[in-house]
Amino acid sequence: MAYQPRRRFTRRKGCRFCIDKTKIDYKDTRSLRYFVSERGKIVPRRISGNCAEHQRKVTEAIKRARNIALLPFTASHSLDK
Amino acid sequence: MRTYETIIIIHPETAGDAYTGVVDKYKGILDELGASTIAVEEWGTRKMAYIVKKQERGTYVLFAYEGNPDSIRELERRLRIDDNVIKFMTVQLEGGYEPSGFVRKVEESETASPAKEESSEKAPEAKKEAAKEEAAEEASDSAKTEEETA
Repeated sequence: MAYQPRRRFTRRKGCRFCIDKTKIDYKDTRSLRYFVSERGKIVPRRISGNCAEHQRKVTEAIKRARNIALLPFTASHSLDK
Repeated sequence: MRTYETIIIIHPETAGDAYTGVVDKYKGILDELGASTIAVEEWGTRKMAYIVKKQERGTYVLFAYEGNPDSIRELERRLRIDDNVIKFMTVQLEGGYEPSGFVRKVEESETASPAKEESSEKAPEAKKEAAKEEAAEEASDSAKTEEETA
């Protein structure tokens, strides 16, 4: 892809969790942020590069984190006011 | 007996003695219900991702314990009644309890609580920027994948 000058969203081939062997925990909002878009949507597997198993776990973790207000369901309900 | 953890968010205005009172109360309730407490993590007051009961902040406390489903039912019933508790969630721990390293990060931000107003102002901006970049790249990514599929 010649026209892509910079790419900080490094797309590693393969699943990060399979390589790093890190646990997925809904309390770990820092690493979950990586799998959430600006709007709070879950990043699809074709972009995050996760394998099916880990994407499922990430999804589960994000949903749990949302439930307990660690992650937003959607961007900026609080910013508007 | 299964391992569970319950996160409760206590009303941010419940501080000091009232706060410790609430935490102790639930420790007591867990004992009373025959659950053996493994750990209690106090995360301190932090900003929530969205407004809950008109509050932007909440004090997070995590209880990890072994108990049976009946004890959870009773605990949650009491949590629902308590006005100091604005939100709670119980999760079954499949792999047993592990002290989470994320709390340390929370404490760091806690220690910077006098400057919290500033940091909370800065943080969303930084986040926004990062997110923007992410979105842009995401867009280029998806554009790329579309190309690939085409």
